[in-house]
Amino acid sequence: MNFQTLDWVILFLYLGLSVFIGVWAKKYVENMEGYFVAGRRVKVALGTATLIATEIGIVTFMYLGELGYVTGFACFWLGLNGVIGYLVIGKTGFIVSALRRLKVITIPEFYELRFDKRVRLLGGILLFLGGVLNMGVFLKMDGLFLTEAMGFGPDVLTAVMIVMLLIVISYTVLGGMFSVVVTDFMQFVVLSFGMLVATIFTLGHVSLIDIATAVTTNFGDAGVNPIVNPRFGWTFLIWILVASVGTSALNQPATTKSLASENPEAGRKVFLFAGITLAGRYIIPMFWGAAALAMFGPGLNPTTAMPRLLGAVVPSGFLGLMVAGMLAASMSTYSAYLLAWSSVATRDIIGPLSKKELNEKTTILFSRIISTLIGIFILVFGLWYEIPATAFQYIAITGAMYAAGAFGCVAFGLYWKKANAVGAYSSLALGAFAPLAFLVLDQIKNSLPQGMLWLVDVNISGFLSFFLAALGMVLGSLLTQKSHPPIPLQPTKDEEGNRS
Amino acid sequence: MNGSSLFWIIVFALAALLFFGTAIVITAVGIRDLKDLLRKSETKKQSST
Repeated sequence: MNFQTLDWVILFLYLGLSVFIGVWAKKYVENMEGYFVAGRRVKVALGTATLIATEIGIVTFMYLGELGYVTGFACFWLGLNGVIGYLVIGKTGFIVSALRRLKVITIPEFYELRFDKRVRLLGGILLFLGGVLNMGVFLKMDGLFLTEAMGFGPDVLTAVMIVMLLIVISYTVLGGMFSVVVTDFMQFVVLSFGMLVATIFTLGHVSLIDIATAVTTNFGDAGVNPIVNPRFGWTFLIWILVASVGTSALNQPATTKSLASENPEAGRKVFLFAGITLAGRYIIPMFWGAAALAMFGPGLNPTTAMPRLLGAVVPSGFLGLMVAGMLAASMSTYSAYLLAWSSVATRDIIGPLSKKELNEKTTILFSRIISTLIGIFILVFGLWYEIPATAFQYIAITGAMYAAGAFGCVAFGLYWKKANAVGAYSSLALGAFAPLAFLVLDQIKNSLPQGMLWLVDVNISGFLSFFLAALGMVLGSLLTQKSHPPIPLQPTKDEEGNRS
Repeated sequence: MNGSSLFWIIVFALAALLFFGTAIVITAVGIRDLKDLLRKSETKKQSST
C-alpha cells in the first residue's frame, strides 16, 4: 500500500476544508443569477483559475496519461492543437463575447433568441444527453486512478467513487456557482501544486533519455509523428482541429465560466489566459504516461499505467499532497459539470415544457434535484459501461454529439444572417447522428457487414459530425428562406447602457 | 535521442514552464479577485434584504 498515515491526514484535511468552504460560500447566493453564474461578477484571473480547474480533472489526467502510454510523444500534438483553438477564441472573442453580451446562462437559450423555443428544447435535450454521457466515464476513471496511486485494490473502487461524489454533490447542490467558483480557486492552487510534485518526482526517477528511448523503441516513427501514428492520422487531426477552434467555446461547463465574467471583454480574456496554459495541461499528463512506458514497459493496462507510476515514484507525505491535488482537479470538474447540465435540464428542457414560467426558487430546486440524479446516474453508468476505443476518443465523440450541432447553430446563428430554424434542426440532428451511430454500432461491431465498418471508426465519426452539422445548417437554411425567414438577433444593452 | 524526440521534449519543457508560471500569476491575482467578488456579493446581498 502506497498511502501512509501522513497522506491520509493531508487528504482528510483537504477534503474537510473543501466541504467547509463550499458550504460556507452558499451564503453569497442572492438569486438565480447568483446560483447559476455567480452574479456575473467574476474577474479575469479568478475566471481563468476556475475555467482551468473545470477543464482539468482526474479523468483528463487519466485519458491523457493513457494516450502518452500508448502513443508516446505523438499525442503531444493535441496540446498544441488545443492552444490554437483557445488562442483564436481568446484573441477574437469568437462566440464567447457575443454570448456573454446576450446575457444567456445556457447555450440553448441562444437558440430561442435566434431561432425558436422548439429548437431550444431539442438543443437542450441533446446537450443534456451528450453532456451526461460524456461525464459518465469520469467517475470510473477517477476511481481507477485513486486505487492505483493510493495502492488499494479494485475492491475499494466503488467506495472511493461514492465518497468523492457525495462531497461534490453536497457543496454544488447547496451553493451553486458561488461555491463552485470559490472551491475551484482553492482546487486550482492545490491541483497545480499536485502536478508540480508529480512531475518533479517522475523526472527524479525516469530520465528524459530513458523516456525518449522507450518511445522510439516501442513505436518507432509513430511515437513522434501523429500523422503516421495509426491511432491518429489526418482524419483525426483535422477533426480535432475543427473541434478545438469551433467548439472550445461551446462546452457548456467551460462556457458558463466565461458567461459568469463581469463583462464580455473579461469573458474573452478568460479564454486567452486559459489557452496559454493549455499545452501544459495536456502535455504534462501525457509525459507522465510516456514515463510510465519507460519505467514499466508496454505490457500494462494503458489506463492504469500512469497512476501506477505516480504511486510508485511519489513518496509518502507528498503522495497525500498529490492525491489531494488530483481530487481537487476532479471535484472542480464535477461541480462545474453537475451545475452546467442541471441548469440546461432545468432551464432548457423543463422550462420550455412547463405550462407556466418557473420562478427562481423552483428553478434552483429543480436544478438541485437534477444535480443529485446526475450524480447517481454517473455512479451506475461508471460501474458497468466498457469504454470503446481510448477514453480520450470516447469523451471526444460524446462531446461531439452535442458540440457539433451547437457549433452549427451558434456559430452560424451569430455570424450568418441566413441561418434559420430549419437549418438549426438539421444541424442539431445531423451533428448528433454520427456520434450516436458510433456509440450504438460499436456495441455490435462484430456482426456488422464489412461495408459498414467505417461507421465504427471513431475518427471518421467525429469528423463527420462537424461536417454534417455545418452542411445541415447551410442546406436547411438556404432551402427554406421563404417559408421560415431568419429571426435577427435583437441588440442588447451592455453594462454601460450602450447598444451592441 | 533523435531530433523528433528532442523537439517534443523541448515542447514539453516550454509547456510545463508556461503552465506553472501562469499558475503562479493567476494564484496571486486571483486572491485579490476572489476577495473582490465576495465583498461585492456581500454588499449586494445586504442591499437587497
